Amino acid sequence: MEVKLQNLKNTILKELAEIKDSQLLADLKNKYLGRKGELNEILKALKDLSDLEKPRIGKLANEIKQELAEVFAQAESAFNPNKQTNFNFDASLPGTKKEIGHLNPSTIVQYEIEEAFLAMGFAVYDGPQLESDYYNFTALNIPADHPARDTQDTFWLEGDNLLRTHTSNLQVRMLEKYGAPFRGIFPGRVFRYESTDASHDHTFYQLEGLMVDKNINIGNLIATMRTLLSSVFKREVDVRLRPGFFPFVEPAFEMDIKCLVCGGQGCSVCKQSGWVELMPCGMVHPKVLEAGGLDPKVYSGFAFGLGLTRMAMMKYRIDDIRLLQSGDLRFLKQF
Amino acid sequence: MYLSVNWLKDWLKLPKDLTAEKLAHDLTMSTVEVEEVIDQAASLAGVLVGKIKEIAPHPDADRLQVCQVDLGSRVDQIVCGGSNLSKGMLVAVATVGSKVKWHGEGELVTLEKVKIRGIESHGMIAAASEIGLNNLFPAKSDKEILDLTDLSLKVGADLSQALQLNDFIIDIDNKSINHRPDLWGQYGLAREVAAIYRLTLADYQVAPLKEADEMKLKVSVKDKDKCFRYLGLVIKNVKVEPSPLWLKNRLQAVGLRPINNIVDVTNYIMYELGQPMHAFDARMIEGPEIQVVSAKKGEKFITLDGTKRRLNENCLMIADSKKYVAVAGIMGGQNSEISSDTETVILESANFLASNIRRSSGFLALRSESSARFEKSLDPVLAELAIRKAAELILSLNDEAYVASRLQDINYNPFKEINLEVPETLINSRFGVEIPTKEIKDILTRLQFQVEYKNQTFFIKVPTFRATKDISIPEDIVEEVARIYGYDNIKSSLPAVFLQAPHTDVAHQVLKDLKFWMSLFQGYSEAYTYPFTNLPWVEKLHLSLNDHVKVKNTISLDQAYLNLSLLPNLLAKAEENFRFFDNIKIFEIDRTFDKKHKSVYHTDPSKKKYLPLQDKHFAGLEVSVDTGQATFLRIKGLWESLADYFGIKLSFEKNENVFSSLVYDIKTQDVTLGQFGLLKNDLFNSGPSKVQVAWWSVNFSVLVKYINQNMIYTPLPKFPSMQRDLAIVVAEDILWEDLMKEIIKISPLLVNLEPFDVFTGHGVPEGKKSIAFHLEFRSTDKTLESADVELIMKQILAVLNKKFDSQLR
Repeated sequence: MEVKLQNLKNTILKELAEIKDSQLLADLKNKYLGRKGELNEILKALKDLSDLEKPRIGKLANEIKQELAEVFAQAESAFNPNKQTNFNFDASLPGTKKEIGHLNPSTIVQYEIEEAFLAMGFAVYDGPQLESDYYNFTALNIPADHPARDTQDTFWLEGDNLLRTHTSNLQVRMLEKYGAPFRGIFPGRVFRYESTDASHDHTFYQLEGLMVDKNINIGNLIATMRTLLSSVFKREVDVRLRPGFFPFVEPAFEMDIKCLVCGGQGCSVCKQSGWVELMPCGMVHPKVLEAGGLDPKVYSGFAFGLGLTRMAMMKYRIDDIRLLQSGDLRFLKQF
Repeated sequence: MYLSVNWLKDWLKLPKDLTAEKLAHDLTMSTVEVEEVIDQAASLAGVLVGKIKEIAPHPDADRLQVCQVDLGSRVDQIVCGGSNLSKGMLVAVATVGSKVKWHGEGELVTLEKVKIRGIESHGMIAAASEIGLNNLFPAKSDKEILDLTDLSLKVGADLSQALQLNDFIIDIDNKSINHRPDLWGQYGLAREVAAIYRLTLADYQVAPLKEADEMKLKVSVKDKDKCFRYLGLVIKNVKVEPSPLWLKNRLQAVGLRPINNIVDVTNYIMYELGQPMHAFDARMIEGPEIQVVSAKKGEKFITLDGTKRRLNENCLMIADSKKYVAVAGIMGGQNSEISSDTETVILESANFLASNIRRSSGFLALRSESSARFEKSLDPVLAELAIRKAAELILSLNDEAYVASRLQDINYNPFKEINLEVPETLINSRFGVEIPTKEIKDILTRLQFQVEYKNQTFFIKVPTFRATKDISIPEDIVEEVARIYGYDNIKSSLPAVFLQAPHTDVAHQVLKDLKFWMSLFQGYSEAYTYPFTNLPWVEKLHLSLNDHVKVKNTISLDQAYLNLSLLPNLLAKAEENFRFFDNIKIFEIDRTFDKKHKSVYHTDPSKKKYLPLQDKHFAGLEVSVDTGQATFLRIKGLWESLADYFGIKLSFEKNENVFSSLVYDIKTQDVTLGQFGLLKNDLFNSGPSKVQVAWWSVNFSVLVKYINQNMIYTPLPKFPSMQRDLAIVVAEDILWEDLMKEIIKISPLLVNLEPFDVFTGHGVPEGKKSIAFHLEFRSTDKTLESADVELIMKQILAVLNKKFDSQLR
């Protein structure tokens, strides 16, 4: 048996030396070392050996098996088809890129801002764009013939409905549905019936925010916005409030942000004032809380309206608002 | 709205160190939004009074003249083309370094010393419009330069000094005073300034009126719901002429064009008190009698501006006993305006229902300074103050004039006195910081509220000028205190809230995921289109306009109907892009509007009516120069991989429509989510190029409901699989889908079946095609032997041969 093993080993080594390609190598390995290969056939006879011989021959058989495995491994590595060393192409050619598509810049900015709000516990809510007069105006303390309707020229639709002029249309809808406490943002598309130019479009995007709870005050609004805006702009920002007017908040504010370009020193971006107008906001009007089914003696809250389109234009320095809705791939492919 | 700092000084002693910029800033922080501060003197810097000493023709230009101009300390040579130049004339000289607007238009330009056709010229002799004085000095032609001779000014003086144009003007954004009827006049703004700086505001002084019975003016208000107050007064013996310089300057400061000493007084009062007035020529008023009546629909009236206007029943009119003489609160009539020979005037000072003024001026498409004020809901008390002040002024400008009637006053003032009880805790809790009681009381008193404090509550009487709509609830008082106290003084702190379970919106999450997947994985770009559909494509796609929601108030066809489908706009965008790209892949996800179906959104809390369906749709298209088959199969593949990625079981069922050569329904659990297909070639305008357009349109709002949110893993197979390939030849019209249905029926061990090569032509008989496919077999309870698989393969071949007459290749 010992001889058989040695002979087999020699045969294998001899045949191995003549092997020219990997397929023949695999066949050879299978023939001798495979599950039904010759080596295993010989080893089957081990069990018939005397107890005296078993350990010695067994050890020898294992050694041979291991030796052969190593030799095969070496041979396999020599025939490895991946072992290409020749290198004869122009590596300075441009890399092969996979074509990827592009999101609208407004979408990108919207998701960035949403992240900041989500982290502060503001959830994202959605609602109708085709809206009733009630939710767009009346419920927000803007009755018929209110002059505030002038500043929001409206696309009126058949059936006495309209295209929402602001994302504030969801304030009362959401309070009706979810009650208080409430903390949410409503990003979305809004519409004003006005003529278009490089800085005005009849279709644009806003992001409304609403927080209602017990004991919410103006200081909370300032602190929340400062924190959120620092997260959005990825640096510490400062904000200030000044009087504004929106019928659905009382008091109403305009929120300015300390100029990010000059840091408040005064430059052409902030018209030398050190501040840039950012968004309208205010404490939710008691009539709006009531319309939402809440008791204004128990609950208070704040609301704000961020101009998403304007944020996108600021971020990418887009100088014509209409590009955002143009579907023009020369524009979209830049983002 | 312009605020003149000089005008403020009529009632306020402003602190010496208060600059106009600081005033503008403080107003912005406490009251209104300031657009800019205009320094009258600065804008006239370097503009001097000059006297023309000599005029000589320009040697090389017919229309130019060379003037020697005396500037007091020197004589400058200036080339000028003015049509009205004469020797001895006093003119405005814009010297080198001053700023002018060429021909009154465009940006300001700084003057330099130049040679005009070879002749040196030091600055220019200005026309009124070139130095912003065209309101004060209207020119008869645009060739005319400003002639100051009549004003006998000092030669060499700064023009701003000589004309007393040394005011600072604060330009206030009208949007920021929409809710403050009291701030549409200088006196109201003075009141705010007094409150901000703790200044004493002088009372508004009006001289006693000497009424007379010489003429009887009859006034009647027929429609007291629309006219709350009407005062009328007759003044005789006026002499209509230009106003004096001080009055012109005040009007100039607030941006008004002086007209004559009667009209200017009414405008002056409007800008001082915020109360619009009107003056009629009494000759044209029959009676004299004034009636306030509603118009009848279809009647016509010619307003001051010479426009013939069609009226409706909302338009409130001022009439005499026979005819209309003004549209109440909006504009006077041409038939009764003040002219140069007017001797007797009837003054009107009134108060009208704000909403009706707004509605009428909207209907007439006529907005005026007057309607802008009335629609803010003015205090009827003002009307009387205004007419008394106007009479005083007119008399002071006309030595011979006198009041010839009694002051007629029809008063239906509907505004009640407003008393508010405001708990101190409300103010402090809204602030989040405690303001001393004394401070709150002081602020409110400065704003002319009457305040009493008892039991931690402020009892507040609202002044009439704030009580017409502006202040009505305790929260309004919070704002008053807060803005004067200063928002900068509020301590900010993050709200203390209880933790809540987050609200998760699966649709929003999926939508975001889908957008990223479409762009990053599928190479599509996201187009935003308008909500208004593209009518040419609606027609091409044979969509019914009756299903579209119609826009009522637009005239443009581009904005006539809302999107029922996203495809029309996307196809239009694709055509536009085709000029620059021959491969276009765009998609959009947004709401579409379906008139024939109802949404879940109620129109008001009664929940009786619901808005039209406005589900989100997901549509897109690929324009390609590739073959129809390849383009189509890419879209199909997109939907197959979308199904894999989002864990949704989709099936595709052949359908047809008028605009596509090939259409499949996309279905899940027997619900049709949408379609994809290949557009008929001739519909897409791609110029001379031949392209294929594959499209899809799916209801995202429905799709998202079927997305598997609870994916669980499948254990890895315990036994190895066996793979086989098969190539068969069948008739060309046999579909893979049909072959597949038969093959998978044969054995449950077949776990995967996939075609990898389909071809016709070389080596394949005419009318036949070759299909090659991979088959994978696996058992869940043993390792398959070759024999097992061979048996199944034989069965497959037999079935294919029997059903499809197929041959093994």
